[in-house]
Amino acid sequence: MPIIAHIFSSDRIFSNSMQDFSVALTIRPRDGNCLRAFSLALSRAHALSIITLPGVALSPCPARGERVKVQVLQENLQRGLGIVGRAVATRATLPITANVLLKTDGGRLMLAATDLDISISTWVGARVDEEGATTVPSRLIGDFVAQLPPQPVDLHIPDRGRQVKISCARNESTMSAMDAEDFPRIQEISEGTAITLDAKALRRAIERVEFAAASDDSRPVLTGVQLKTDGQRLTMAAADGFRLAVADITLAKAPEQAIEVIVPARAFRELSRLVADSNEDVEMRVNAQRTQVRFALTDTEMVAQLIQGTFPNYNQLIPSEYNTRATIAVDEFKREVRIAAIFARDGSGIIRLQLQPGEGPTGQLTISARADEVGDNEGKVDVKLEGDPSKIAFNSRYLQDVLGILNGEVALEMTSPSAQGVFRPVGETDYVHVVMPMFVQW
Amino acid sequence: MSTNTLATVLHVDLDAFFVSMELLRQPELYGKPVAVGWSGNRGVISTCTYEARAFGVHSAMPSSQAKRLCPGLIFLEPDFGYYQAASDKFHAILRDFTPVVEPAGADEAYMDVRGSERIHGSPREIAASLRSRIRQEIGITASVGVSVNKLVSKVASDAGKPDGLVVVESGEEAAFLAPRPIRELPGVGPKTSESLARLGVHTIGDLAHMPLGALEARFGRHGAGLRRRALGEFDDPVHSGHGAARSISRETTFDTDEANAARMHAIIWGQAERVAADLARQGRAGRTVTLKLRFPPFETLTRSATPGHGLERSEEIAVAAIALFERAWNANGRRPVRLVGVSVTNLQARGRQLALGEQPGRDELDQGIRELRGRFGEGIIVRGAELPARDSLP
Repeated sequence: MPIIAHIFSSDRIFSNSMQDFSVALTIRPRDGNCLRAFSLALSRAHALSIITLPGVALSPCPARGERVKVQVLQENLQRGLGIVGRAVATRATLPITANVLLKTDGGRLMLAATDLDISISTWVGARVDEEGATTVPSRLIGDFVAQLPPQPVDLHIPDRGRQVKISCARNESTMSAMDAEDFPRIQEISEGTAITLDAKALRRAIERVEFAAASDDSRPVLTGVQLKTDGQRLTMAAADGFRLAVADITLAKAPEQAIEVIVPARAFRELSRLVADSNEDVEMRVNAQRTQVRFALTDTEMVAQLIQGTFPNYNQLIPSEYNTRATIAVDEFKREVRIAAIFARDGSGIIRLQLQPGEGPTGQLTISARADEVGDNEGKVDVKLEGDPSKIAFNSRYLQDVLGILNGEVALEMTSPSAQGVFRPVGETDYVHVVMPMFVQW
Repeated sequence: MSTNTLATVLHVDLDAFFVSMELLRQPELYGKPVAVGWSGNRGVISTCTYEARAFGVHSAMPSSQAKRLCPGLIFLEPDFGYYQAASDKFHAILRDFTPVVEPAGADEAYMDVRGSERIHGSPREIAASLRSRIRQEIGITASVGVSVNKLVSKVASDAGKPDGLVVVESGEEAAFLAPRPIRELPGVGPKTSESLARLGVHTIGDLAHMPLGALEARFGRHGAGLRRRALGEFDDPVHSGHGAARSISRETTFDTDEANAARMHAIIWGQAERVAADLARQGRAGRTVTLKLRFPPFETLTRSATPGHGLERSEEIAVAAIALFERAWNANGRRPVRLVGVSVTNLQARGRQLALGEQPGRDELDQGIRELRGRFGEGIIVRGAELPARDSLP
C-alpha cells in the first residue's frame, strides 16, 4: 500500500552539532486512516523526501489541527477564565503573559495566567478526549466565551499548531495560539511551612490592612503586607510611610515553623477576591527558600513572589500612651468626614479635627475643611472625651480609608497635633491603625 | 492669542545691575574695569562694567579667562541681600505704571502699558519717566526697548544699552531687526549661530530671507519658528502676576549647551529650592511638578508628575524634577541641553503630610533657611550639591 508522507508542521529544532531538524509528519494513506504524528530527526538533505515506513500500525486520523478535543461547559469555562483573568499581565513585556494557559490535567481542564509576580490557576470539570495544552489571548477568549450560550464548548487544541478551534452550539471560531511550552512555568509548592486560614477571618484581615500598603514602589517592602506568626497568632501589617495598619488572626493550629514573609499587597487583593463568599479554608504555604507563597483553595490556587527585604519594625510606631482619647460613633464620624472631604479636595486634602470638652464625659469633635477659592465646611459630632482638649489635621483620604473599614465605635488616641493619631475599634483588640497627621498652620 | 498691533510692550533692563549697585557705594571705582563675581580659579563673572566689557570680558566668563583678558580687572564679591532690596524697588516702580508686569529676573521685566496711556502718556513717555525714576530712586541706569512684542522689545533694549531707549514702531519690526547680528536674536546661541553662519546667515535679516525649506532641512520643524522670530513675530503676551500665582517656576538657559548630568542635577536642585522658597512665602504648596527641557535650537519639551500629595519642600520638588529630567533626557539620547526649568502648578493650601516616625523638625529647618535667605540674600546658604564642579565658589 503506497503511503504518502505529508509535512504538516515543520517546527524546526536545530540540534547544536548536527544541524539536523525534526519534522512532525502525518502519514496519510488513501483509505483515511493515518499514523499518529511523530517526530523524526532528518538531515537537511532528506527534508523533502517522501519516506516510506513499512509495518507501522494505522489508526483513525482526525482532521488537520484537531488533535485534542476537550469539552467543557460554557459556564465553567467562563467562571474559570474570570478567576485567572485577574493575573493576566496588563502591560506584558513578555507577550505570552497576555495569554491564558489551557491544559488538560487528569480529566479536568486547568486554566492559568501569570504576570510573573503572581499566577492564578484554576481547574474546571471537562471531558478530555486527549491530553494537550495551548495558550490563547486572555482578553479575546474571555470576551468570546462570555457571549456564548450556556452549552458545551469544544476545544480543539493542536499540540504544536498556531490555531485553536473552539465550537459551541452552532458557533465556530479559531484563535491564534502561542505554544504552551513557552508559557512561564508555574512553580509547584508542595513543601515548606504551611498554615490553614479561615476564609472569613482572612478576608476581614486583608480588608483592614491591605489598603495601607504603598502604591508606589519607591520602597518595595512597603508595597507588601507583612505576615508573621507567633504561636497561634498571625499578624498582618502594612504601612506606606504615612500610615500603618495591623491586624491579628488567631490560627486553629500553630505552624511547625514560625513564618515571617512579605506578600505583595496586590496578591492579597486578588486573594480576597478569590476567597469572596466562600467559607472554605485556605492553605498558605511558603516554599523552603522563602521566595514564593502559595494560597490554595479547593479548585483554585495562587502563587505569588514574596517581597525580599526587611519590613520596618513598626511596634515602636504605635504609641502606648496618649494625652487625649475620644470615642466616636463611626457612622457619624464617617459622614462628617465625607462632607469635609468635598471641601478638602481643593485644599491639599486637609481635614482638621478639634476636640473640645463638653458637659460631663461628653465632648465635641469639630471636623472642618476649607478651600481657598471654594469655601469652607464645619461639622460637629458628640464624643466621649478623656484627657486634654486637642487638635490634629489628617489627609482626607487616609481618614476616609480607615473609617471605611470600621463599624460601631472607634477610639482616636493622640498625644500632640504633630504626632501619630491611633485608631482602635472599640471592643476589639485585633486591629490598630496609625495615621501620621499633616503639619498645618492652625 | 491676538498679536498686538500697537507698540505698547516694554522691556526694561537695569544696566550691569550688580556692578552698578557696587559702584553706587564705591564711587571711586567709576570708569574702571570692575566685575562682580568670584575671583578664585574656578570662579565666574556675574556682571561687569562697560569698561571691562571693552576688554572682551562678559558675564558667565570664567574669572581666570577674564583676568587674562583684562589684567587690571577689579573683583568684588556679590552681596545679594543688597541687590535684592534694589530689585524689589525696581519692580515696584514698574508696577506704578501698569499692573501688567512680568518679571524676567532680578534686573529685568516686561510690561504692557496698553490702557495706561491716558494716565501716564504714550509708551515712549512712560519709558522715559520710568527710566528717570529708576535713576533717581535707585541711582543706576536702565535701558528700555518698546515694540509690539516681548521679543522685539528685548532686542531693542539690548540695542540701546547702556542707558538707552529704543522704540520700534508697529510694522517696523522686521526692518529694525534686519541689520542686527544674528546672535542678538533671543534664542539663537553660539551653536545655532554657527549652524546659521554655515548657511551664510550673519544678520537677522539674512535669516528672515532664508527659504523655509533650507531652514527646515537644517533645523527640522523649528526652522519655521526661527524664521518667524527673525521677522519679529512673537505671540507670547506679557504675563502679569495678576491675583494669586497659578504656577511658580525657575529656569536656566545655558550659555553653552550642557551635557553634564551632575551639573544639571545641581541646577535643578537650586531651582527647586527657589521654587520652594516662593511657595513658602505665599503659604502654598503645589500638586504638580513640571520639568522643562530645551534642546537646541528651540525643541522644547515638558514632563509633569503629580505625586498625589502637596509638594512644598525643596527636596520633594527636586527629587521629582530630577526623576522627570532623567526620564526625558534618556528618551532623548542624553543630548546637550539648552535650557532646563522647574515649575510647580495646581497650587493649593499648605499642609505637609508627616511621615511615620517623623518629627516636624525639617519644616523648622526649612523655615530657618528661608529666614536667612530673606535677610542676607540667596547666596548666604547653598546646598552642597548645588555648587557646580566647574564654577564653584573659591
